[in-house]
Amino acid sequence: MTRLLVSAWLVLVAMPALASDWTIDHDNSRLGFVGTQSGAEFTGEFEKFEADMRFDPDNLEASGFDVTIDVTSFNSSSSDRDSTVAGQDWFWFSQFPAATYTTESIRQTGPDEYEALGKLTIRKKTRTVNLPFKWVIDGDTAKMDGQTTLTRTHFNVGIGEWRSGKTVGLKVDVQVDLTLTR
Amino acid sequence: MPIRNTTEQWGSVAKLLHWTIALAVLVMIGLGWWADRLPYGPLKVDVFWVHKSLGMLILAAMVLRLVWRLVNPAPPLPAGLKTWERWAAHWTHWGLYGLLIAQPLSGWVINSAANFPLSVFGWFTVPAITAPDEAVKQLAANVHWLLSWLIIGTIALHIGAALKHHIVLKDDVLRRMLPFGKVSS
Repeated sequence: MTRLLVSAWLVLVAMPALASDWTIDHDNSRLGFVGTQSGAEFTGEFEKFEADMRFDPDNLEASGFDVTIDVTSFNSSSSDRDSTVAGQDWFWFSQFPAATYTTESIRQTGPDEYEALGKLTIRKKTRTVNLPFKWVIDGDTAKMDGQTTLTRTHFNVGIGEWRSGKTVGLKVDVQVDLTLTR
Repeated sequence: MPIRNTTEQWGSVAKLLHWTIALAVLVMIGLGWWADRLPYGPLKVDVFWVHKSLGMLILAAMVLRLVWRLVNPAPPLPAGLKTWERWAAHWTHWGLYGLLIAQPLSGWVINSAANFPLSVFGWFTVPAITAPDEAVKQLAANVHWLLSWLIIGTIALHIGAALKHHIVLKDDVLRRMLPFGKVSS
């Protein structure tokens, strides 16, 4: 009886803090990027990432994302590039295999349009990153579509002789294209 | 100097294309050699970028040159050449046309299969001509290497023959391709 009461109390107390929890449908989701090399664009993606996605358009206070990206899953369909970014001047896979993004607030900017403010950490370097995104709910499915631009050297990605950005551009577009279910 | 070829000499268009491409090919051999030996880093990527950009321009110039050659008969070879000499001249020339078109194409395949983007000197971006593929990249790289040696060998024959005509046979074959060459007739 006591246990039941405690459980009920826990549920009640926990309830208001919960926005809907969403599960990423990884087969229909992509965490991609667009960079530039010698003045032309290349694209790729991080194939492995996990995220705790809490989102409720009517309760943005309780909404938030906690994302962990396995940077070693970097795939730009180029063996040369993909092996280069593993090195010390780039992501340094052996030292920093994961990057994280944790939102601090989400605000609405238009119909189905929002902007998250969060902390992105790559190679132990943390910066605040805005992520404008669309979140469209259809029953128990949602589509999230966001894009932001990072400066890679803010995170020590592409340092040493690559730092100048002349050969590989400093700006990298990150594209979040998720299908989620609840 | 006439624009089109005559029976005595090459026209200005053929000469311009010949010498511009000749210079570019020499630069390409140097850049390719150098880039290949550089350790992986931005300098290697940059040198290859110039190599690739120039290669695309050579491809365009070679296509133009091929068309120009097909609509403009070449000045005839001097009389008195042996059959094997005519045959050698014919195949050296057409071999160079083929090689200088095949070589940038094989380079384009390497770059496409490696999934590297290519903006020609930052002026315009050319599309990939094959899907990313490690095996195709390796194969095309081997072809590119083989073609580079064939080009070097054929150029050596070409220069050797031109000098032989000029110095030994003392005919107009070299002079009629020189930028301001005066032909004797």
